[in-house]
Amino acid sequence: MVNVLVRSLDIVLPLLVAFSIAAIVLLTIGENPVEILTLMATEAFGNVRRFAATLSASTPLLFTAVATAICFRSGVFNVGVDGAFVLGGLAAIFIAFKLPASLGAGLIPLAFIAAAVTGGFWLWLPGVLLAKYEADEVVSTLMLNFIAAGISGYLVNGPLLSPQSGNNVTPLIHETAELERLMPPSTLHAGFIIGLLCIIAYWIWCRNTPSGFEGAVVGQNPRFARAVGISVPAIIILVMVFSGVIAGFGGASHGLGQMHRFSDGFSPGYGFTGMAVALLARNHPIGILFGAVLFGALASAGTTIQLFSNIPLDLVNIIQGTVMIFAVIEAARLMKNRRRQTHAV
Amino acid sequence: MKAMKLLSKSTIALCAATAVLADERPAALIIAQGGLGDASWNDTAYAGFQSGLEKTGITGRPIESPDVVAQGEEIMRRAADGGFGLVISLEWIHGEPMEALAKDYSDTSWVIMNQTREGDNVASVVFGEHEGSYLAGALAAQVTTDTSIRGINEEAVVGVIGGFKAPGIDKFIVGFIQGAEAINPDIEVIVAYADSFGDPAKGAQMANAMFDDGADIVYQVAGGTGIGIIEAAKARGHYAIGVDNDQDGLAPGNVLTSMVKRVDVAVDQIVTNYAADTFPGGEVMNFGLAENGVALSPMTHTRDIIPASYVEKVEAMKAQIIAGDIDVWDVSNEGYPDFFK
Repeated sequence: MVNVLVRSLDIVLPLLVAFSIAAIVLLTIGENPVEILTLMATEAFGNVRRFAATLSASTPLLFTAVATAICFRSGVFNVGVDGAFVLGGLAAIFIAFKLPASLGAGLIPLAFIAAAVTGGFWLWLPGVLLAKYEADEVVSTLMLNFIAAGISGYLVNGPLLSPQSGNNVTPLIHETAELERLMPPSTLHAGFIIGLLCIIAYWIWCRNTPSGFEGAVVGQNPRFARAVGISVPAIIILVMVFSGVIAGFGGASHGLGQMHRFSDGFSPGYGFTGMAVALLARNHPIGILFGAVLFGALASAGTTIQLFSNIPLDLVNIIQGTVMIFAVIEAARLMKNRRRQTHAV
Repeated sequence: MKAMKLLSKSTIALCAATAVLADERPAALIIAQGGLGDASWNDTAYAGFQSGLEKTGITGRPIESPDVVAQGEEIMRRAADGGFGLVISLEWIHGEPMEALAKDYSDTSWVIMNQTREGDNVASVVFGEHEGSYLAGALAAQVTTDTSIRGINEEAVVGVIGGFKAPGIDKFIVGFIQGAEAINPDIEVIVAYADSFGDPAKGAQMANAMFDDGADIVYQVAGGTGIGIIEAAKARGHYAIGVDNDQDGLAPGNVLTSMVKRVDVAVDQIVTNYAADTFPGGEVMNFGLAENGVALSPMTHTRDIIPASYVEKVEAMKAQIIAGDIDVWDVSNEGYPDFFK
């Protein structure tokens, strides 16, 4: 119980600090902080429709946060989730518009499989490079994000471009491949449920499976892990592939549920926001769920308060940035541990 | 007059209650990807939005989001739910969702750009790019044989590079060819497609190939690929023609002119119509030369290096197009002409 309290403080404290800073900024620019922050809260959670919009905005983060946490808890500093999300999404969308519509809802599992294979393969690469050649995963996964953006940009500007449009988008997916909307007219879609299932699966994997346990041991003390006969390289590759699969699922869910096509701007950095969520949640499933919803709320309310106040997007960026600082502190802590372990080996 | 303006501004709420005819509900402008500060599409549109608001006394707000693409539908619905009477989206990808959700909000006026969408309360804004391109072609055809201008050879050859072989792009290209041939029926216009909007290296390569074939002016209709075309023109001392925005400053002196889309004019016009209760719901608003929706750039860096008579000729042709004496082929409405299949 105490543990839960301490953990929730990890998320609540950064938020309190962030909102205090936002309040100070609001005061200095002559706005009423209570009014604006209340407006924000109403826009995020004020009624069922707004709450649904918040959950809709948080859906991609459920996947990217879990994908990040899987690696971080094993001490693998994978920052390449965004790339796997983008390429997985593109693969799913390709299946969902290219294969015949007559496949009906059967397109959905096919698209998710394509996304999982693509995402899994994408992060398998840096996994092998790390496990076999000790190539620094921060560098390799960060670089792979740029390559993923390049590949998707090339495809959507060229071979996969919709013939109907001069803009950089693929054709729309078949309607049968679209994920069901949960609360129309909100865009909240079945991908949210899939995201929750991913969190649950991650939880079960952590607690109840041998590889989940081994992953935790590798994260806490790789020397000990080696000493008790755990294959550290095998765990590294495993968590990387898992991470890629979940990120790919996220891309597929975003593509089939929200976007219905691929376009530039498919991921406005969901991988990185997800990383912040995982860090603040210290990889805990419940923390991930709340963190994702909170960041979703910031994104959705931060956008729509512009309709009802003179608050620019920058204020939301300040809040998000302040919360991110705490995530960075956590990241720094992890990195320090990682160095110590590497040197100890 | 000023007092009137002030009065109307400060009593908008009152007006909303008393004015029965005109819709005084606020207007929202959804900023496209790239956000404000892009010195391009979004900033230009926002300038038009502000001037429209100022003129009419309507209140309005811009709305930005890093995930404007994914949250588009939620943003549009929120604006309508929140009492906005006019919602303009600058984001191309909002077209399909807008068409669908506009049905749920019949007393809100919706505007989408660069495409045609159905709905009694949806206005589609398209630009007369073929007309602007015609003028660009006419200017290029005059310049391309004038060897007194540096970087120009005597061959009557110009080029145009499109991003893709698509009607939306060929609309520019056909207008350009038609304008060039109106000046010189024997001119050779080399046409090529980069098959990409985001490949400057390929743009440079293709422009260089055209320069090797005797072209000295290349019109770019290829988005980011076109940046490479302009760079190639600068490197070789020849000329490019910019598109969409005033790109003359990207390589001062080597961009002959730019075919500019005046989205500010369009947005201003829409706000004005909305305030006057003449919102063109269900219509396609065409912003061509007559509406000042397309234009050649002011040619800040090149005006002095070409004879004034060329520009005068182009101005005369512009007047003829507006008067209806010249009919410019519009691929997006008329399909492909005989001279360009």
